[in-house]
Amino acid sequence: MNRNRFSLPNLGIGLGLRTVHYAHILEHAPAVDWFEILSENYMQTKGRPLHFLDRVAERYPIAMHGVSLSIGGTDPLDRAYLAELKALRDRTKALWVSDHLCWTGVAGKNTHDLLPLPYTEESLRNVVSRVKQVQDVLGAPLALENPSTYVEYAGNTMKEWDFLAALASEADCALLLDVNNVYVSAYNHGFEPAEYFAAIPFDRVVQLHVSGHTNHGTHIVDTHIGPVIDPVWELLGEAYRKTGSSILLEWDAEIPSFEETHADALRAKEFITTAEPK
Amino acid sequence: MKPPLGAPPPLRDVQVWTIGAITGVEADADSRAVERFVTAGPRLSAAERFDIYRSGYHARLLECLLDDYPVLAAVLDRDDDGQFAALCRAYVDRHPSASPNLNAFGRHMASFCREAKLAAFPGFAARSSFASDLAALEWALVEVLHAETAPPLDIAALQAMPPESWTSARFIRSDALRLLRFEYPVNAVFIANRIDEVVPDVPPPSPNAVAVYRRDMQLWRMDLTPAMLGVLEPLVDGKSLGEALETVEAECTDPEVLAQTGANLMVWFREWVQAGFFTRVVLG
Repeated sequence: MNRNRFSLPNLGIGLGLRTVHYAHILEHAPAVDWFEILSENYMQTKGRPLHFLDRVAERYPIAMHGVSLSIGGTDPLDRAYLAELKALRDRTKALWVSDHLCWTGVAGKNTHDLLPLPYTEESLRNVVSRVKQVQDVLGAPLALENPSTYVEYAGNTMKEWDFLAALASEADCALLLDVNNVYVSAYNHGFEPAEYFAAIPFDRVVQLHVSGHTNHGTHIVDTHIGPVIDPVWELLGEAYRKTGSSILLEWDAEIPSFEETHADALRAKEFITTAEPK
Repeated sequence: MKPPLGAPPPLRDVQVWTIGAITGVEADADSRAVERFVTAGPRLSAAERFDIYRSGYHARLLECLLDDYPVLAAVLDRDDDGQFAALCRAYVDRHPSASPNLNAFGRHMASFCREAKLAAFPGFAARSSFASDLAALEWALVEVLHAETAPPLDIAALQAMPPESWTSARFIRSDALRLLRFEYPVNAVFIANRIDEVVPDVPPPSPNAVAVYRRDMQLWRMDLTPAMLGVLEPLVDGKSLGEALETVEAECTDPEVLAQTGANLMVWFREWVQAGFFTRVVLG
C-alpha cells in the first residue's frame, strides 16, 4: 500500500537497469517487480541502448532517474534536455521521473557530479522556480532525491532536511528518499539520521533508494558498490513503515551477476516485512 | 573572488568559484580559499572534504574515456603505466564537458591525440599518429552503437530488381556504417589486444581501410581492400552503382585492382547487403 499524496503506486522491489544485465534480463525474464533506468543512458542516442530499453519496457514497469537536470544550477534550464527527457518518458511510459537535489555545473561547464547546494533562501527560491518549470514541461510531478554530500557551504542558513521539506511544499514536488544518502551524509557531517527523518514530509515520498557505499574511515563515499549494510537496511525499514513506497537497489560499479544483485535487493523483504506501513 | 562578510555569498558566485576550484582553472583554490566557502567536518578539514570533489572530477571523466577507448588505453599503458590517464587529464582540460550527456564527450580524442603534448611522457609524440588512428577506430564504434536503427535492405528486393536498373540504382547507406582510412593497421592491433597478443609499441605504417557497422545490434569491423573501398566509398556518398564503377575506372591506375573489382563485385555486394550497409535502394 502506498501512502503518497500523488497516488503513485508501490511497484515493489526493483533494480537499476544496467548494461551488463541486458542479456540475462531479455533471455530469462526474471521476476523483478520493476526497473529504474538512468535517463541519460537513453538520451543522445538512437541506437542500441534504446533497442534494449524498449524490450525491457515491454515487460516491466519503468521509472526514470536522472543525474543531469542540475535543478539547483544558475545557468538557464536546458530546454533541449528537458524536451528529450519528456520524449523518453513518453517512450517508456515511465511512472515517474526523478533527479537529485543538486547542481552539476555552471557557465556552460558540466562536472557530471552531484554537487551540494548552499542551503540558503536564495538557493531555495531558485530551486522552487526551476522545479515548477520542469514539472510544467513534464506534465507530472518531479521526484527529487536527497543527495549524499561531502562538504557543507559556510553560508548555509538552514539544514538540508529543512531545505528539502520547504522545497517539496513550495514547489509541490515529490521526493525520492535515498536512505543510504542519509546515512552517508550523517556520517560525513556528524548528524543523526533521526534528525533528517523527523523533518521529511513522508507523504511526498514516492520511492526509496538503497545501496552500498565505501567507508574510508574519515568519510563515506556513496559509490553504489557492494552489499547494503544492515544499518542502512534498518533505515529503509523505518522509511518504508512511513511511506509504503517502491524500493530500488542501486549498484553501479563492480556489478555482480544479475542473480546476486537481485538477491541483495530482495534482502529488503527482511526489513520491511516487520515494517508494513500502518 | 571573496564572499562578503555576514550575508551568504550570492549563489551564482558560489557556483562559479566551486566549478573553478573543482576543474582546476580557479587559481584561488588553496586551502584558505576553500575555507571561505565550505566548512570542516567531524574528521576532515574543509580542504580535505573539498578534495573529494576535485579528485572525483577527473576520475569520473577518465572512466568515461576508458569506456570509449579501452584498446587505446591498453596500448598506451603497455610500457608506460599512466600514459592513458595523462592523455585523458589533458583531454579533459582541453575539452571540458559542456553537455548534460557524456555519450559524445570523447568525440575529439582522435584529433586531440595528434596535438597532445604529455610532459611526463615525451615518447608519446612518436606514437601520436598511431594513437590517433586507434582512437578514430574506437570512436567509430561508439558512433555506430548510438546510430539510428533502420531495417537493412532485404536481399530479396535486390534479386527482384530488373537487370537494366542496376547501373542507375542508388543504395541508401545505413546510419550505423562508417568507412575509415588509416595510416596504421589499427584493426589488427584491435584484434591482437582482444586476444592478448603482444601489440607493438608503434606498428609499421600500412595504409588500410575499415568499415565499422552494426548488424543485429552487434558491432562489427570489416577490412576493406583498395578495390572494395573504391566501389563502396562512392556508393555510400550517394552515387549510383554505374557512377561508382565509372569513378573506379577513372581514378584507378592499378590493373590488378580493376581486375579484382570486375571479378568480385557481386560477391562483395552481397556481403555488404547482408552486413546491413544499406537500408533501401532507389531506382532511376
